Amino acid sequence: MPATNVEESQVLEALKSVEDPDLHRDIVSLGFIKNLRICEGTVAFDINLTTPACPVKELLEKQARRAVAALPGVEQVNITMKAEVKTARGPDTSALKGVKNIVAVGSGKGGVGKSTVAANLAVAFALEGAKVGLLDADIYGPSIPIMMGAPGETPIRDNLIQPKVAHGVKFMSMGFFAQGDQPLIWRGPMAHRAVEQCLTDVEWGDLDYLFVDLPPGTGDVHLTLVQTVSLTGAVIVSTPQDVGLTISMKTLRMLQETKVKILGIVENMSYHLCSHCGERENIFGHGGAKEAAKKMDIPFLGEIPLDTEIRKNADMGVPIVIGQPDSAPAKTYREIARALAAQISIANFNSTKLEVVEEPA
Amino acid sequence: MKPHPSGIRKLGNKRLELLWNDGHESVYSFGLLRRNCQCAMCVDERSGEVILDPKTVAEDMEGLKVDVVGNYALGITFGDGHSTGIFTFDHLRKTCPCGECKEAPLSRVD
Repeated sequence: MPATNVEESQVLEALKSVEDPDLHRDIVSLGFIKNLRICEGTVAFDINLTTPACPVKELLEKQARRAVAALPGVEQVNITMKAEVKTARGPDTSALKGVKNIVAVGSGKGGVGKSTVAANLAVAFALEGAKVGLLDADIYGPSIPIMMGAPGETPIRDNLIQPKVAHGVKFMSMGFFAQGDQPLIWRGPMAHRAVEQCLTDVEWGDLDYLFVDLPPGTGDVHLTLVQTVSLTGAVIVSTPQDVGLTISMKTLRMLQETKVKILGIVENMSYHLCSHCGERENIFGHGGAKEAAKKMDIPFLGEIPLDTEIRKNADMGVPIVIGQPDSAPAKTYREIARALAAQISIANFNSTKLEVVEEPA
Repeated sequence: MKPHPSGIRKLGNKRLELLWNDGHESVYSFGLLRRNCQCAMCVDERSGEVILDPKTVAEDMEGLKVDVVGNYALGITFGDGHSTGIFTFDHLRKTCPCGECKEAPLSRVD
């Protein structure tokens, strides 16, 4: 039987029927298809996604396989799923030059579990295979070193502070500037300088994502951050409680005022599953953040239950996504991380980097 | 959505050109920008009273350096050494000196 020759153009044409549901374009014109090889009836190619945490990874692979397999003469389809995180940031000469995306994690008030969320999201991204950094910029209550299980001092090499590494995440904390139970008693300019230093004098190396855990509210640290770097965007953590939410809105507006893209809202302490009877109890009310997100046209990334296991794991220095990966809260965190990764990819896709072009008058 | 710049050009030390994503174009002299500086040394933070005497700004004021601040503003170093102002894109659009913006204040973005 004469073999039907499979042409490259046929394969690409077939793959054009597969669309990325977030970017609303087909995967060929998005440039996702790389390394296409055809050998008789076997077709092999890479699908190069914009994030390893892509929530539609399996779906795209399945659709692409089906589209190509349907071509006459194709006997086998070999797909390799890869990821190359994109950046909308311009050339940068500082120590941050290898950092593709900087994402702020903020809240309106303290005690909403922002740091726990930030630590778990950072580790969740690392578990997906991304290169992740986490900067604890909460000068009032730096808690990331405890949650990541690595307190103590940071070494300095070649005039650059070396970040600590735990659970696959490089991290640095304002807490490292003061040891033990010593507080950081700083006026604005000190906080400003410290944030600047954590961004530019830390050897972050190559990172796909750098998360910045902000202090609550809208203060010096926030201003310094939005003025020093070009943020990919920000995530707001809120409890369902209205008070928490009204205040969250202030942080949100401050970020919008400074043209920071809001990537989404995460509702923390959303509900409590009773450890005795398993009944769901909405301690702080329910759905407040989701409603607010809808009203303000901001993506709602998900709701995390109030679960004592999350707290226990954090206190032990092992975020729950890695400590109890099969637990319900861990799975929720992984889903939220994928939803966030999609929003970051969308933000990069839609934004252009501003640069000042100098020309003779 | 408020307009956002899609292009920023510094023409020598004389003028700054902004192209906006709604198609509008703004051209500012650095003298105008210097007189419109909103920093705490030029405008009182509480009362909003203008401290800077515009007459002290030379007509041919130079702009030495223009940097993008975060995602929302420009920082400008002027020929007189003044560099503390942060010119937000919203403010820059409001103070666009073109005829159209001056004559039709309604089309301005507030």
